[in-house]
Amino acid sequence: MLNVENLFLQKGEFSLKKLSFNVEKNSYFVILGKTGSGKTMLLESIAGINEIEGKIFFEEEEITTLPLQKRGFGFVYQDFVLFPNLTVKENIVFSSRYKQIIDADALFLDIINFLQIEHLLERKTTHLSGGEKQRVAMARAIYSRPKLLLLDEPLSAVDPTFRNAIMKSLKEIVKRYDTTIIHVTHNFREASYLADHIAVMMDGSIIEQGESNRILNHPKSIEVAKFLGFKNIFPSSLLNENTLENVFSIDPNAILFSYTSSLTKYCFKCVIEDIMGISDHYKVFARVKEHLFFVKVPKHMFAKLDLKEGIKCYLCIKKKDIVFI
Amino acid sequence: MIRDKCFLIIFIFLAAVIALFLLVPLVQLFINVGPVKLLDALQEKEVYESIFLTLKSSFYAVLFVCVTGIPLAYLLARYDFWGKSFVESLLDVPVMVPHTAAGIALLVTFQNGEIGVFLKSIGLEFLDTTTGIMAAMMFLSAPFLINGAKEGFKKVDVKYEHMARTLGASRMSTFFSIVLPNARNDILNGALMMWSRGLGEFGAVVIIAYHPMIAPVLIYDRFTNFGLSYSAPVAASMILVSVSVFLAIRFVNNRF
Repeated sequence: MLNVENLFLQKGEFSLKKLSFNVEKNSYFVILGKTGSGKTMLLESIAGINEIEGKIFFEEEEITTLPLQKRGFGFVYQDFVLFPNLTVKENIVFSSRYKQIIDADALFLDIINFLQIEHLLERKTTHLSGGEKQRVAMARAIYSRPKLLLLDEPLSAVDPTFRNAIMKSLKEIVKRYDTTIIHVTHNFREASYLADHIAVMMDGSIIEQGESNRILNHPKSIEVAKFLGFKNIFPSSLLNENTLENVFSIDPNAILFSYTSSLTKYCFKCVIEDIMGISDHYKVFARVKEHLFFVKVPKHMFAKLDLKEGIKCYLCIKKKDIVFI
Repeated sequence: MIRDKCFLIIFIFLAAVIALFLLVPLVQLFINVGPVKLLDALQEKEVYESIFLTLKSSFYAVLFVCVTGIPLAYLLARYDFWGKSFVESLLDVPVMVPHTAAGIALLVTFQNGEIGVFLKSIGLEFLDTTTGIMAAMMFLSAPFLINGAKEGFKKVDVKYEHMARTLGASRMSTFFSIVLPNARNDILNGALMMWSRGLGEFGAVVIIAYHPMIAPVLIYDRFTNFGLSYSAPVAASMILVSVSVFLAIRFVNNRF
């Protein structure tokens, strides 16, 4: 549906470095990256706001130089960009001034019911909360019947208590309004809930892309693994296993301590170096050879094991919990 | 707390000095003239015609700059281009030059120069005409509107324009439906500043168009030929009318 080929854009010192990717029709595509990685710049380039080198195809047609008002893409900015001179209702139906909206009245009613914004329609946008603004911005974008909906960190300015409800709505939008979504975010939890496909961006480059579960559970590079919150990344040689992958990672919750070496397949002698008490668990740092492991130990287990700084024990890992990178 | 009070007392005293300096001469003028003479002046044909001509010429100057200066302000606010600083500095020059010198420059350009000959051939005369008055007012007051509009446009985030365009609006529609309404207050303030600055213009107008007489020229004319008692009622009438119009526009703008 959307094919981006060798997209290049230089702005000052920063550049998007020949990015290529495909987005399939009716999919939820998440571009995941840290702040300053070029996500918004990429989204604006797809929308047609930036002049780029390279090519963009949409439904087999090249749209690289097509003016943004002719692309038919919806856009929701991080700060929502609701027009302050218009009421909520005027904002939502703004696109009907410039293009014919099929079944406009029915669509309008459906959107305001779906996003629960009926009570806001006559209000000025300046007096809305973050969550209300977000829903109005979504309504405005959906009402324009976009073939592709571009969302720039749409949840970052929303109160955490409403975030789950809005995420649920976002997921439903693709099917309900027969559209495709590209959503950029720095939050991998958002990505894990919403995405069918993920592209991970760092410093203007897409360093990994693919099916959501694969990226989130089996990243191919250490940078992506670290960004996705993988902890305890160590060389595979530590396991004495012959694998193609150079490193492995183990979830801090999946590590066990024992005073015997036969608890699991992989048990290493370790020394407890540091212990930090948190509300419902302890963070324990244990050294195995030159590697420092981070382990989360539940309170009841901690008491049972009687762990103390400086004691020697075994740090054990089950084979099924190991993620090779 | 005592230091806080001292601070406030000093600041209130200093503020009062300048506020009174600005206010007292105006009040004094009205007291000296009195309501009877003021009303008589307002009913005098020469006076009300000159006041109307002043208001009208300045208003036309504002309209002309709205059409030409607002696009310039938008370009300056939105784009970085070679020579932008030069253009911005150039816009401030009329505010700095002596007004009589500006009048001479306009006279040289629009009356005697090749541009003047061309404009005459298409029916635009500047010497002793309303067009000349308008040009003189515009030359010295246009920067107020252009700079006001530029600041207004800068306050409208460019993302509003991108957003309107993703929703199907062309650049021109975006400008009129989103950019202009959201910069309205600054533009209107700039227009009011320009208009009011134009009302007070004397130096440049008197060089290019002594006749027909605008109010500042009539005040000067009466003062030099007949003295203070003849010029003061005209001055008071002009101040009364322009302040009334100014307040009315502000009131309307605040309501909407």
